[in-house]
Amino acid sequence: MSTLTENRTNAPAHASAGVRGVTFGGVVKSEWIKLRSLTSTVILLAVTLIATVGVGALAVLIRFTFLDQMIQQAKDAGQPVTPEMLTQSFPPGSGFDLYNLPNAGIQIGTLVLGSLAVLFISSEYATGMIRSTMNAVPKRIPAFAAKALILVVISYVITTIAAVLTFLIAMPVFQGLDIDLDWSTDGVMYSIFTGGLYVAGVALIGLSLGTLLRNSAGGVTVLVALFFVLSIASGFLSLVPGDFWKYVPQYIPSEAGGRFLSIGHIDGIIDPWQGGLIFLGYVLLFFIPAMFVIKKRDV
Amino acid sequence: MIEAKGLTKVYGEKTAVGGVSFTVQAGRVTGFLGPNGAGKSTTMRMIMGLDRPTSGDVTVNGLHYAQHKAPLHQVGALLDAKAVHTSRSAYNHLLAMAATHSIPTSRVHEVIEMTGLGAVAKKKAGGFSLGMGQRLGIAAALLGDPQTLILDEPVNGLDPEGVLWVRNLVRYLASQGKTVFLSSHLMSEMSQTADHLIVIGRGRIIADAPVQDIIEGAQQAKTLVRTAAASQLSALLVGDGVRVDQSQTETLEVTGLQPRDIAQVALDNNVLVYELTPQVSSLEDAYFNLTKDEVEYHSHMSGEPVAAAPEGK
Repeated sequence: MSTLTENRTNAPAHASAGVRGVTFGGVVKSEWIKLRSLTSTVILLAVTLIATVGVGALAVLIRFTFLDQMIQQAKDAGQPVTPEMLTQSFPPGSGFDLYNLPNAGIQIGTLVLGSLAVLFISSEYATGMIRSTMNAVPKRIPAFAAKALILVVISYVITTIAAVLTFLIAMPVFQGLDIDLDWSTDGVMYSIFTGGLYVAGVALIGLSLGTLLRNSAGGVTVLVALFFVLSIASGFLSLVPGDFWKYVPQYIPSEAGGRFLSIGHIDGIIDPWQGGLIFLGYVLLFFIPAMFVIKKRDV
Repeated sequence: MIEAKGLTKVYGEKTAVGGVSFTVQAGRVTGFLGPNGAGKSTTMRMIMGLDRPTSGDVTVNGLHYAQHKAPLHQVGALLDAKAVHTSRSAYNHLLAMAATHSIPTSRVHEVIEMTGLGAVAKKKAGGFSLGMGQRLGIAAALLGDPQTLILDEPVNGLDPEGVLWVRNLVRYLASQGKTVFLSSHLMSEMSQTADHLIVIGRGRIIADAPVQDIIEGAQQAKTLVRTAAASQLSALLVGDGVRVDQSQTETLEVTGLQPRDIAQVALDNNVLVYELTPQVSSLEDAYFNLTKDEVEYHSHMSGEPVAAAPEGK
């Protein structure tokens, strides 16, 4: 211990502590340091990128195999089809569009980045770190906003990079089938640029859930229920007699958000921009109460 | 300077702090003394804006803590040594705290050296001993070189040498004109560190005075008298505001009279007195006197259940 005892009673050097006070830029930097200084987070982000591209590549392979087999079958039946005819024979929105291939692995990103967002704040409640955070930023909202900003940027960047990489894998595969698929194909650039917005929105809901529940397991469970269980459950609604129930699922968060990532008008279904607005509504539905709660609640 | 006015915090049915008012002056060490659960931590958390007062108000240097533009330069606080992410290194924890106020990295190194954390700064804070955690908390409190220092049980878990270091540090800071407010349930520690004491029990202020006054307040109370005629002297002394207890055959404990007056009575009545000792009481005695009715969690020998109340942490 003796080596630790030197300089113990040194005076705090007055000028060295800085004089600038709290700035939003400083708070953002602080939150960034917090994020990057956890090894688990850094590894998780790298794995997310790899997994998103990996699942995307798998989806590319499945669709390629499917199309390839149909072309072979048509040829064997003596009615050769061009790949163009085949892809256009499916109604839009039926899941056989190719323009949305950049986002083929997006569900993985949603799951991991959403959970990471929950943990970004719930782990502070779990460890007590939140009290240090609120001591340094007693107005509280800037700290919450800084976390939100960092999550949005990280989600957007990772998802967009994954989308570009996935599409780079998809392009040569489908071009090999003589299918015209490149950066200028309708909807490709749109998919690449909007996918990140969707994942960023899910991350904001995750951050809000982590704040409202102050509990990692609870927050992740609700997030998964909201984005995965609910979408499966809503699928069963179509089994209910009557047309009405067929139109309900499109309003749940994952469906409305998913619709935002597609293009074109489909009769009886909300338009992409409407899906986007509904999804934004869901984000605010969680984000605003979370902001209110973090300002008012004892920590 | 810290000013609390009618500060109250109620958790459900339980009043943790019941309308306390006090002022913590700059330039001296003010001790905040009270038994467990007396409301020390809750009061400090309200000063730091972590808990919202149910009613009343508390300001630091004239403003609510959250209203300050540079809160870490105004107040450094160690409220809870566990307020650290367990997987983050001490260095990164301090770096993140410093970044909010654009405090340079050199200052982070400074407080690490100052608190003797150099050897473990890059290690995960979750693995720290209680004492190391305490040092990290103090390092964080010193980051902004604050005008006011609020330390909740700072010597908790520190080795004797660490205790001495904290004592010297807070005394030095107070001598530099800073406001130092530290809580403890250890009377011995307070008597050596604090200049002024605020004693709290069951959420109420019991005493607010210089340490010396509190000790003397208890001191003047008792004089030990040994006499050959205990019962005779006892009868002569008893009167308004004077109490006499006979502990042994020839020993009296007189409360409410100065030794000189006792001697005078004995002389006037021809009573032999062979010892007359003012009872030198310690802060400990004073504290037990003050808080004997205010201790919330008595030890129960019979093992009867004691209602557990939330500590408020």
